[in-house]
Amino acid sequence: MKILFSNLLAIYRRELQSYFNSPLAYVIAAVFWLIGGLFMVTLLLSPDGVIAQSAALDQSGIQQNLDAPYEFLKFYLNLLGSLSMFILPMLSMGLYADERKQGTLELLATSPLTNWIVAVGKLLGVLTFYSAMLLPLLISQAVAFERSEPGFPGGLLLLGYGGLLLLAASVLSLGMFISSLSESTVLAAIMTFGLVLLLWIVEAIANAAGPFGTALSHLSLLSHYTDFTQGVFDTSGLILFLSYITLGIFLTAQSIDTLRFQRA
Amino acid sequence: MIEVDQLSKSYGSTDAIKNVSFTVEPGEILGFLGPNGAGKTTTMRILTGYLPATTGTARVAGKDVHSESMAVRQNIGYLPETPPLYPEMTVEGFLHFVARIKGVSAGDRATKVVSAIERCNLQEKSDVIIRKLSKGFRQRVGIAQAIVHNPPVIVLDEPTVGLDPRQIIEVRNLIKRLAGEHTIILSTHILPEVSATCDRIAIINRGELITTDSPEHLVAKLTGQGYWVELAGNAERNMDILRQIPGVVRVEPVAGEALPEDHARFQVITGMEDLGSAIAAQVVSKGLSLFELKRNRASLEDVFINLTTTESAEVDSRDREVMDAGEIDEAIEEEDAAEMELRAEPIPPELASSEPISSEPISSEAINSEPATTEQPDIKPGTEENQT
Repeated sequence: MKILFSNLLAIYRRELQSYFNSPLAYVIAAVFWLIGGLFMVTLLLSPDGVIAQSAALDQSGIQQNLDAPYEFLKFYLNLLGSLSMFILPMLSMGLYADERKQGTLELLATSPLTNWIVAVGKLLGVLTFYSAMLLPLLISQAVAFERSEPGFPGGLLLLGYGGLLLLAASVLSLGMFISSLSESTVLAAIMTFGLVLLLWIVEAIANAAGPFGTALSHLSLLSHYTDFTQGVFDTSGLILFLSYITLGIFLTAQSIDTLRFQRA
Repeated sequence: MIEVDQLSKSYGSTDAIKNVSFTVEPGEILGFLGPNGAGKTTTMRILTGYLPATTGTARVAGKDVHSESMAVRQNIGYLPETPPLYPEMTVEGFLHFVARIKGVSAGDRATKVVSAIERCNLQEKSDVIIRKLSKGFRQRVGIAQAIVHNPPVIVLDEPTVGLDPRQIIEVRNLIKRLAGEHTIILSTHILPEVSATCDRIAIINRGELITTDSPEHLVAKLTGQGYWVELAGNAERNMDILRQIPGVVRVEPVAGEALPEDHARFQVITGMEDLGSAIAAQVVSKGLSLFELKRNRASLEDVFINLTTTESAEVDSRDREVMDAGEIDEAIEEEDAAEMELRAEPIPPELASSEPISSEPISSEAINSEPATTEQPDIKPGTEENQT
């Protein structure tokens, strides 16, 4: 058990190190911060923004309670989720494709490690990097919430970002599996993005009525994420996310095994 | 230390290796020699637990590579054909990572990493990012990662590929130093490499193990020790005179060479006896006009070509049985044409008239079996000169 943990830590640390040493990862982070920051400024300060709307409601004298921080966070988390869908394939693309290209997969596969440990360590590594990408955005939100009235929606913040991390972990986990299928990072990124598009299509169908839509809505990652961002905690959502994560790890481990069995 | 028994591996319908069996004693260096695509890498990958064998078993340090894979992996250090390196890591950081995943305890890690760095002469590069290292240093980091956990068995797949001659010697010396406390298997298609480093050679061709023996034995096994003699005058008479020397098995004219008018070259085959002085005495006593007397000792290259081409010649003859008589004639004609081309090729026009073409004793069988010669691995006769 101790050895397993030590192996996991070794893989995790190496993965994290490779992200923090990679220029590409910083470029991705910079784009993420730029667009994430723009979303926030637009949502808050534009003429249609949350602050302007709230002020208009106040002026009109209607005693309708607009919870501006709540509204803002709900919209913002949804936007951040959509933005992440573009960013995550680029984070997961190299997870295994690079190992295959560099030949280091052979090192990992001939070391006393199980495929599971490697996959879990890698997933934790990339998830940590994604969390690090979210941190600067959280700081700018903290600045905004400091002056907000009514105060800071702590519960929603926790639930929303928890949901965002679960969503990211699910997409990254499936992206990791796709990355293990090829030696090309570009191909892995494109295929993972294809998967994300599929998730959106599933979401669109799930929103439509009918028994098929209902069935799909139970399986849709995005609709469960929307529940989280609205402050609704749903155990089935949690289980669904965890299932997708496990599925990704399982498929990755299987795919590496298959690769070794079939390698010509 | 390593026992391989009837190991086979097939990909679909093609057999990568067929019934390969050999053993390696503790502390020994076994050279795995074969043309590219002969199955060297496949065998090594099976030994390291990277690939499963189709049939047969392999045991490393008494443990089965498939069923006790984790234990075997801990006891084995492996350098694949392309060294598995993370370009963004420093040499030291990378070796720490490898030591960690190989299960070296935290207390030992620092000393083992330092020792691997020292043994591979990487001290001045230990803080450099691997991306910035030259090919030779990368190869050394690759070897360092294979030995960092001090495994009893080390498997090196073409460890000297792409290195300059000085680095090759360094790596060979490193490998020799590692022997004794480690058991080593290394693969190569460069012949001088095995004779320089290995205690024993396993020759593999088209997935089949042809022989395992020490380099000296392999050379001695090859028949056809003898001398090349270039004489002027009546060829028939000269041959008769040479045949009279006691101990001579056979005298054959060597054809296809551009020699001055009236000159002829003969191969005097003597068995295991060295008849140099007897030939010289005969030549002098009979008053023959001698132009060249040269010992023709089989090199490892001859052994290799001999062993690997007889194999393919058999395949050719099997193929031929299927043909019609007319096709056979055609095939032979084609073959003759190919042979002519092969022989004509190495003679540069300016040399053709004066010098005998090649001092390399390439056996005529090797040239005759044309499909095999074109497929021959890049055997680098030049490498030996490079080192000295």
